[in-house]
Amino acid sequence: MKQTSDTFLDNAHAALQDPDKIQRRDIMALFTPIIRDAAMNSFGHFEELRQHVKQVKQHTLTHLDHYLARFEQQALHNGNHVHFADDGDQMNSIVLDICQQHSARRIAKGKSMVTEETGLNDFLKRAGLRVMETDLGEYIIQQAGETPSHIVGPALHKSAAEIRELFLAKHDLGERDLAETADMVGEARRVLREHFLKAEVGIIGANALIAENGYSMLVTNEGNGDLCANLPNVLIVCTTLDRVLPRASDATAMLRLLVRSATGQPQTCYTSFYSGPRREPDTDGPLETHIVLLDNRRTEILASDYREMLQCIRCGACLNHCPIYAGVGGHAYGWVYPGPMGSILTPLLTSLEQSKALPNACTSCGRCGEVCPADIPLPELLRNLRHDETRQKLSPPRWRLGLRLHAWVARHPMLYHTLTGLGIFAMYLLGRRKGGFARLPMAAGWTSQRDFPAPQGRTFMHQYAALQRENEARAHKGRLAAQQTAAQGTPAPQPSGPDRVAPDRPETGGDTSGRAAPGRGKPRRGKPGRARPGRARPGRSESGRPGPGRIEPSLGEGWQDDER
Amino acid sequence: MSDNPRARIFARVEQASGTADTDVIARELAALGTAPGADLPAQDLATAFLANVLKNFGSADCVANRSGVVKAVAEYLYLHFRSHRLVAGNDPHLAAMPWREAGVLPRFGTVEPGEPVTLSYALLGVAEIGATVTLTGKANPAANNLLSEHHIVVVDSARLVSDMEHAWEAINQEMTRTGRPRGINFIAGPSSTADIEGKLVYGAHGPRNWHVILMGDVPASALEEAHALAGR
Ligand code: SF4
Repeated sequence: MKQTSDTFLDNAHAALQDPDKIQRRDIMALFTPIIRDAAMNSFGHFEELRQHVKQVKQHTLTHLDHYLARFEQQALHNGNHVHFADDGDQMNSIVLDICQQHSARRIAKGKSMVTEETGLNDFLKRAGLRVMETDLGEYIIQQAGETPSHIVGPALHKSAAEIRELFLAKHDLGERDLAETADMVGEARRVLREHFLKAEVGIIGANALIAENGYSMLVTNEGNGDLCANLPNVLIVCTTLDRVLPRASDATAMLRLLVRSATGQPQTCYTSFYSGPRREPDTDGPLETHIVLLDNRRTEILASDYREMLQCIRCGACLNHCPIYAGVGGHAYGWVYPGPMGSILTPLLTSLEQSKALPNACTSCGRCGEVCPADIPLPELLRNLRHDETRQKLSPPRWRLGLRLHAWVARHPMLYHTLTGLGIFAMYLLGRRKGGFARLPMAAGWTSQRDFPAPQGRTFMHQYAALQRENEARAHKGRLAAQQTAAQGTPAPQPSGPDRVAPDRPETGGDTSGRAAPGRGKPRRGKPGRARPGRARPGRSESGRPGPGRIEPSLGEGWQDDER
Repeated sequence: MSDNPRARIFARVEQASGTADTDVIARELAALGTAPGADLPAQDLATAFLANVLKNFGSADCVANRSGVVKAVAEYLYLHFRSHRLVAGNDPHLAAMPWREAGVLPRFGTVEPGEPVTLSYALLGVAEIGATVTLTGKANPAANNLLSEHHIVVVDSARLVSDMEHAWEAINQEMTRTGRPRGINFIAGPSSTADIEGKLVYGAHGPRNWHVILMGDVPASALEEAHALAGR
């Protein structure tokens, strides 16, 4: 697949021009975390399971030489041909050779991100083979000449209407309206069933390879992978070495995390384990089976500081929870793997130079790391890649200079506080009339989309220090009063301790530079309203009701009015 | 470097992996303990299994013995097809069923395209995931799991296990007895897809209906309770 990660920003910009697709992505971003959370909550032992599976996976990677050798030995014992491929081209050639040895013309293919990585379909097609994707999502995008936008739901970027048009154009089946989703699924089933029955070779991926017995695990809901694995006379399993797990029970333990993280189901419809070719009295199944194990730089990752990325079980949860993925969709990432996992894998499997925008496609919100069932510290790995970019001088010189400057200032706290204090105060003076800035130097990325709210005069640190001082004074006064009343024999009023926020005063919050959190700014639509920076009125909320005793954002009155 | 990709890959893996004795590795792995599974929806294994089968959008029936199985199959066939025909694998358990009692006419073998109903005899039922486990082979050709519109699976209640760890224990035992089968299939629901706009549709490639008949000594209220637990 041609990589376009280097134009991520342009791709993203283009993706933001289609309101229909934006809406579909918004719905998916809302809906997929809900079903994942519901599944995990009803499971109840997420953290315990994720730690267990992580430890097993780390143990396996630490002893990968042992487990890989064991898997190979068992797979051979089961009657498979086992092949090793350094890179994608080697894998593609091995697969083509097998197909040609059997004079195969028709290939039925199950869903496999590894073969997307190697561009297997195009390679086989160029050699004159007819390769049919059989997972419905993969089939749809194959017919449309597109690539997957998601590692679990490859065609979720397409509307039912688009798919209907596609099927009407591609399937020569006469007049029909395909009104319902079920009609389209039924039509794909009919078309693909024929192909299944005629295919000479089946190609599938593997969700796990089991060292103790040489089986490979295949997880699907449609059953298409199983048809590929059982009907054609030759089966080829295309997978990578990092799929190895010690025992069958490790694979099903991982499955508990995989299904819930991927689709919110407690279990997939078909979970199958295949060992090799058909046995003596068997009446069906492939006569010959091959397992092709791809490296494609995974051994480099194993030896690097990014080893944890090999724990990935390809569930797609980090995509579903990523605000950048939700915003721009999978295609913007410009290669096979999108979202947070893709922003790490793409630089590692291709090159950081080619994909240097990806590790920066991150708001550092941390959601991906929280939900990742493999407990991969995704935000940390993304940050490390950004660090690598700086070290390798791949990021723009302007950024590097800015970072160096920032780092230097941040190492001198006095200077830092003085400079930010001056800056914030200047912004307060300049912006107090309108409450925000429509344009700011060096912040065009923000102000082209929304106004930048004006700070209210002092930095968070200043306000915090003032609050501390005030609380201490109050406590001191309280103590004095207590001493006096004790001397007079009456009970004292309760003072507010330094850690209690007094209910009758304005409260403050915000980050140290006094900036608003991203997304808090008012979208650029019309005027900034009656925004007026300044202090909140003591003891009143903006609606005029008595202020509650909790911390309010310190964005100035006008902004709070507009937010409500 | 070797010109053989296998040798090159192993060399790279060995360089990055820690070298340790097989015994040490086995001990390290054992020390990691076992994974937590999902809690069962009911204390009674049969009820829990049936509830999860129903949650997986299967349908279910409970019968006391082999005559009950035959009768339940006959009713199912009549309800859906007004017929008495089906295809079953060459499983001795199925061959020994008193089919004549209910006038069912099984054809023993591998399903042919167009035959709508297949019957399998499960090695196990797994309560945790509401799945039946079948092994491919002469007794249960893989095509019978996949190519029909309706797939009926008989599970002996004595062959229910609570979770996947116990399922593997039982499967490993079976493999020691009969050798490794080509395929081990955990089936937990009719074939489904949500690839078009996330809408769930049944009958993507495999059977549209998956019907489980639980045979044996099962509490009389198990099925009713399972329906209540599954909410369907
Ligand atoms: S990185 Fe984690 S969340 Fe993302 S696909 Fe891999 S396992 Fe799933």
